[in-house]
Amino acid sequence: MPPAVPGLRACGLSYQYGGQRVLHRIAFRLRPGSLTALVGPNGAGKSTLLHLLQGQLQPSTGVVELGGAPVRRCRRRIALMPQKGEIDWHFPITVAEFAGLGRLAAARPGCCDVDGALQQVGLEAMAGKRLDQLSGGQQQRALLARTLVQPAEVLLLDEPCAAIDPPSRQLLLGLMRQLSDAGLTLLVSSHDWGPALSAYDRVLVLDQSLRADGTPDQVRQALDDVTMGNHRCG
Amino acid sequence: MNWWIAPLLLALLTGALCPISGALLIVQGRVMQANLIAHAVLPGLALAVAFGLPPSVGGSLSGLLGALVAERLLVPGQNTANHSAVMNTVLAGFMGLGVLLIPLLGVRVDLEATLFGDLLLTRQVELLQVGGSLLLQGLFFAACYQPLVFLGVDPMGAAASGLPLRALKLAMAGITAFVIVSSMATVGVVLVIGLMCAPALVGLAGATSLRQAVLRASATGMALSVGGFLLALLLNLPPGPLIGVLCVGLVVVQRG
Repeated sequence: MPPAVPGLRACGLSYQYGGQRVLHRIAFRLRPGSLTALVGPNGAGKSTLLHLLQGQLQPSTGVVELGGAPVRRCRRRIALMPQKGEIDWHFPITVAEFAGLGRLAAARPGCCDVDGALQQVGLEAMAGKRLDQLSGGQQQRALLARTLVQPAEVLLLDEPCAAIDPPSRQLLLGLMRQLSDAGLTLLVSSHDWGPALSAYDRVLVLDQSLRADGTPDQVRQALDDVTMGNHRCG
Repeated sequence: MNWWIAPLLLALLTGALCPISGALLIVQGRVMQANLIAHAVLPGLALAVAFGLPPSVGGSLSGLLGALVAERLLVPGQNTANHSAVMNTVLAGFMGLGVLLIPLLGVRVDLEATLFGDLLLTRQVELLQVGGSLLLQGLFFAACYQPLVFLGVDPMGAAASGLPLRALKLAMAGITAFVIVSSMATVGVVLVIGLMCAPALVGLAGATSLRQAVLRASATGMALSVGGFLLALLLNLPPGPLIGVLCVGLVVVQRG
């Protein structure tokens, strides 16, 4: 029996919806403790890829494995933080109760430390506040706290830095770095092609298929070459 | 027992019951479905009376069937206006079928009391039915509290977590149908939506948990329903429509 490959592995992933190709032959491996950005334009398939990796969607072809096991057998070891727009922020719920919902996604209900997660994201003082009393950046951190309550080893974060101010973005990036330093594997989708990319170990550029894969500098260089080439061609 | 005690108790229980359903429906974005169920109880009611079955059972099943038919006709990904159009069409179709079945089956159904309620005709069976419905609703709420909260605040996250959402939604639709049928004597199937929504809107405002919102909504509903009944006696007006008008007044005051 071959030894288990550590980390999350996507192999030949394709996905079609309504006869349309959304993703085509995606392949990569995320090593444990890495912080990776998944960038691409709107409609590139970033969210779809995250949902495939978490096992919520079934690929048309290809496989996703965690530690050598098919993802459907270990879905609860992979936590997905949804986009901010998917949450009803006016729902009557406190920050603490919201974070506690992560327990429902855990393999062992009642296993998880809500206070610890809130402390980790710096929201312990806001635990009793309603969600709609938080700023945009705080709401993203509340979502992250809910994701952290689930005892997962891979975190898939869908646009966590969207529509928040630069200080909040820095705070979130710092938090993500702390989590990866603690051994968690993070894949973070983003629209941000700017200097914030330097905060990541690795960048995957997606536009239905993988267009670039490397360190932030390597990816920037590759994209610059493509842009210059386009200019020269007029 | 004085003649007014049974209607007063029924008003009190219905006032407590309807806003619990209402609060759940508002946070799940399913108010339109409740309105559809309310109008879709009529065919089942007529059939149940024709075959000598309990009208509440026939009405509940028919209301649930209306909700399922509408859900089957909805196309995922289409916008809310499109969904509303489908649901309103099913609502009208079931209501029309009910109105047609009454003369076709030759059954005696007091259509006015069914549509707008008649508290003064309260019998023990209605009291027991509303009490049972309140108990069922309370048990469902307590047993499924966290999944209901998850489903309301983050439907996609709830789906991803592997909760049995289909069963939960079906149970909610069934209980809503039973609540509506049970509330028929007080406010009728047309006006029940007001007693579900107005107190729930008040309860939800500023609440820090769904539990708190439901308790506040329920207390407001009791005050509104009993107040409407007493005012109706004082002014010699039908209680159901008066409660409906008070519901609008409450929302105007709350939002004003």
